[in-house]
Amino acid sequence: MNKLLAGLAISTLTAVTTTSSLAADPIRIGAATYGLQGEFMQLWSNALKDHPAVKSGDVEITVFDGRYDALVQSSQFDSMITRQYDAILFVPIDANACVGPVIQATTAGIPVVGSNTRCNTDQLAAFVGSDDVLAGQMVAEEVIDKVGDKGKVVIIEGPIGQSAQIDRAKGIDKVLAEHPDVKVLERRTANWSRAESLSLMENWLTAHRGEIDGVIAQNDEMAIGAIQAIQASGLSVDDISVAGVDGITDALKAVQKGQMATILQDATAQAQGALDVALAKLGKADELPQSDTWTRYPDLAWNNGASDTYNIPWTVVGNDNVESLLAQRQQ
Amino acid sequence: MSQSSSLTSSPVPKGKPSHNLASFMSDYGIVIAFIVLCVVLSVVSPYFLGVNNLLNVLRQVSINGVLAIGMTFVILTRGIDLSVGSVMAFSAMVAASFAGASADYGLILPILLGLGAGLVLGSINGLMVARFAIPPFVMTLGMLSMARGLTYIYSDGMPISSLSSHFLWLGQGMVAGIPVPVLLFATVFIIAWFTLRYTAFGRYVYAIGGNPTASRLSGINVRRITFSVYAISGILCGLAGLMIAARTSAALPQAGVAYELDAIAAVVIGGTSLAGGKGRIIGTLFGVLIIGVINNGLDLLGVSSFYQQLVKGAIIVIAVMLDRSRLTNA
Amino acid sequence: MSSPYLLHAEGIRKSFSGVPALLDGHLALRPGTVHALCGGNGAGKSTLLNILMGIIERDAGTVRMKGHEVTFNSPHAALKAGIAMISQELEPVPEMSVAENIYLGREPRTRLGLIDHRAMQRQTCELLASLELDLAPDAKLGNLSIADMQMVEIARAISQDAHIIIMDEPTSAIGERETELLFSAIGRLKQRGAGIIYVSHRMNELYRIADDYTIMRDGTFIESGAMADIDRHRLITTVLGKELDEEYAKFNRPGDNTLLEVDGYGRGSAFQQVSLHLKCGEILGIFGLMGSGRSEFLDALFGAAPADHGEARLEGSPYHPRHPGDAMRAGFAYVTEDRKGSGLVMDASIKRNVTLASIADVAHAGLINESRENLATRPFIDRLHIKASSVDMPVRQMSGGNQQKVVLAKWLQTNPRILMLDEPTRGVDVGAKREIYAFMSEFAQDDRAILMTSSEIPEVLGMSDRVLVFRKGRISGELSGSELTQENLVRLSS
Repeated sequence: MNKLLAGLAISTLTAVTTTSSLAADPIRIGAATYGLQGEFMQLWSNALKDHPAVKSGDVEITVFDGRYDALVQSSQFDSMITRQYDAILFVPIDANACVGPVIQATTAGIPVVGSNTRCNTDQLAAFVGSDDVLAGQMVAEEVIDKVGDKGKVVIIEGPIGQSAQIDRAKGIDKVLAEHPDVKVLERRTANWSRAESLSLMENWLTAHRGEIDGVIAQNDEMAIGAIQAIQASGLSVDDISVAGVDGITDALKAVQKGQMATILQDATAQAQGALDVALAKLGKADELPQSDTWTRYPDLAWNNGASDTYNIPWTVVGNDNVESLLAQRQQ
Repeated sequence: MSQSSSLTSSPVPKGKPSHNLASFMSDYGIVIAFIVLCVVLSVVSPYFLGVNNLLNVLRQVSINGVLAIGMTFVILTRGIDLSVGSVMAFSAMVAASFAGASADYGLILPILLGLGAGLVLGSINGLMVARFAIPPFVMTLGMLSMARGLTYIYSDGMPISSLSSHFLWLGQGMVAGIPVPVLLFATVFIIAWFTLRYTAFGRYVYAIGGNPTASRLSGINVRRITFSVYAISGILCGLAGLMIAARTSAALPQAGVAYELDAIAAVVIGGTSLAGGKGRIIGTLFGVLIIGVINNGLDLLGVSSFYQQLVKGAIIVIAVMLDRSRLTNA
Repeated sequence: MSSPYLLHAEGIRKSFSGVPALLDGHLALRPGTVHALCGGNGAGKSTLLNILMGIIERDAGTVRMKGHEVTFNSPHAALKAGIAMISQELEPVPEMSVAENIYLGREPRTRLGLIDHRAMQRQTCELLASLELDLAPDAKLGNLSIADMQMVEIARAISQDAHIIIMDEPTSAIGERETELLFSAIGRLKQRGAGIIYVSHRMNELYRIADDYTIMRDGTFIESGAMADIDRHRLITTVLGKELDEEYAKFNRPGDNTLLEVDGYGRGSAFQQVSLHLKCGEILGIFGLMGSGRSEFLDALFGAAPADHGEARLEGSPYHPRHPGDAMRAGFAYVTEDRKGSGLVMDASIKRNVTLASIADVAHAGLINESRENLATRPFIDRLHIKASSVDMPVRQMSGGNQQKVVLAKWLQTNPRILMLDEPTRGVDVGAKREIYAFMSEFAQDDRAILMTSSEIPEVLGMSDRVLVFRKGRISGELSGSELTQENLVRLSS
């Protein structure tokens, strides 16, 4: 009940502020997320709050819920500029609609570090994220490796037109082009939604009875929906290989049971890495980087925070690493 | 009911036929539309009429069906309930938090809590509309947002999964070859049909939608009935929440976004008037089935979901158009 | 080709879903005259008028205006051609001012295309002055009385320069003074060469202002002629198609026992200090103009809007209704003046309306027993002579008189002892009126009684044993026996 009340009190503000009264004059950083409804953005924003600089009180983070609306994000930028934040971490909903707000902030002298999703502008101070084209390639390869060069697959996509959908589709297409004999039976959107994908897959299993060898899903929610449809129709997931992207908790558990494969997108590294880079841009580079992102991915060059793009590697989740990843998640 | 044939013997002004093609069409037009749709789909897709596919359709429509039944009660009283999707998500979350595979709460507690959560939020809607005269559109629009907020607060924005197998049975189990959600939907439908058709309460629902002033002056407790329909909608949202969590094996905080639109669409396609007082639950059943069959058929045919949206929207408008022409001809 | 008629309709036919509503509609309107369109409920008057106004389409027949054949497919088209209608159902925009309502859809514009509010105010002032109406152009319509709203509708029709004006029961909701204003406005319209089609169930009015008449019955044209050539008796028998008994069939006899006593009833500014007593077997009339507080008093007595002062006793026991349910349990029934607004569920069947206030009687443990419901409803169909194809017929499809009988049936079904009737015969044709009067006498027997309000003087005089006159929320006098005259009623009420 206390949790409820506290939550109510906080949610009356549009933003959730993590603050420390100990710090005399903390650095104020705004984190503009596209929306807090999915598990991934929850992990991302929780990771920010766990960043050592935030915990020590040197940095004050304000997380904004963009409510999946470019217009909402734009007005949140307006208020961050008015309130003179020191830097902004930006996860835009749309790769083009984000350009205006970024230029506005940059013009006002506030560095904007992109994270997770892309923004089609050269005005970003830096981008810390993962390459969705690569994710598309990896998820397609996971499935095609298993179904073989002559397999028949279905593809479940995100909302048509969103940057992640476009890029992941690009990666999938690239792999398909390399395997011309793989047959794509169906290709449709399920809007990132588990329930929608469940119904869609049920109907496909009817229309293509016994034909579907593999399911390439652009995210894990939809992959799990597909698995549930397969099980509900009395088929075995051993006969149909399913793969998704993101590495949400339910997907990790499914990997553990041998039901699917997933490509983990490291929310913690994206969030904490972006904060490290933002601090570097603000000239606090001497004590940096503070997060363990850079030790976990030795191939990722820190370069004193001066690079334009930091591509956090994707991790294929398999039997070897799923236990430890799940253990991390349980904390 | 057996008396109805002898009724026409009461004083009749010169030979008015009590039944003709027009009134038949207005009574059963939706059924005919549904049959035509099914015939067309079974011709163009060999899979459509398969038993498994038909069970799939029923399973897929059962959640919207339960929501649409509650919505029918509300709309019959001239109201609207925009909060069904959010209330469903909240109920799902509450139920799922007591239905974990590791925790041992049994099946009864999560069911009661899920239904209870829906009932409480629905009752708040009902109280505000009936007692404080907040317009239903405004109240339930507010609840749409509040219930979604509660869902996030309660869940911290994270899904709850790893549900117990008992609980999953509600969404994935079978009884005598029929999926459990379909049985739940059928049970709710029969109760609702019976209530509206044969009980005094059902009669009052129609009466206060048809003319609230005349109903009040006829000694009907309009407030109590109004309150009740929102409470009914709420408890059905709770049931739908149990069903969706069990079907998707998880309570997701973003579940049910925009579900109110499909529920309203089913009611409207089914011929229930948004102006209240007119409509039948059987119409809602066919409204739900038509939406489900369209989605299923277009999936089977591999038609893009863009066209699905287009077709669904067009059918809503056509349904209301037919309803209108029926009114002006009366 | 010129025609002596402003409007000439012949052989108009219309069916709804195969059911004929109009078989042979005929009407010939001369310029500068008032033409009474007479007929009982279901005679097809409304259908004919709706066809003339372009609200519904005709199946067959011709309509000529000044010799040219016309077909209107919308009221807007009819209006453009110069036909306006003032209907029984007022359709104003309550949130807009008098001026805005009058000029709705044809507001004067400035050169920039914006609404010219000043011109609109000015023209409205002139218009209202020419009609001798004491209304502010910027008053919000929703704040006016029904009578004033009706006058605004009339002003609106006149302002549209219509040369054919259809008036469907224009006086049913307005008082004596407004009626006089309306008649003088009609006189001026006649002088300008306009033709008026006038529908009213009030015979006196027809003989006062109509020049010609057309009688319809069962959807068919019967005859037409000059008003001067037909006497009252022949007009009524032709409308009904049969001979009639005496108009006010009154045969109840008040007893000695007092049924209801009201002492110092009052609510806010609506009415104050109302005291009365009602005897068993009595029909007590309450006369008063619109807004005199009579309806509000009945509302209070029924618990719909409880009184805040005074007390009432029913056969000596205290009676304090807080809800209509309290009143019903005590044996009250209340037929309101607004049938459609507060009496009936229009889309529901006769049966459902009749049992609306007494579901418990035809239900067991919350379940409705339909055969009992049918059995409960059918006797009223016979007893009140309700014209209907079956008890499942929606009341919307019925005529005003038959709808009123359904309302009566609803309340009789509750077995009341005190029947309160507010304008019991408004919008009801002559035949049905007689039946309602006969029913009232029959009801007011033994230990039952009637409390009736009316603004129709002949009805009050014809049916009441005693009359209380309301003026400005108070009782201004009580009349009985030889004091019951039109002069006394008018004197006490105004």
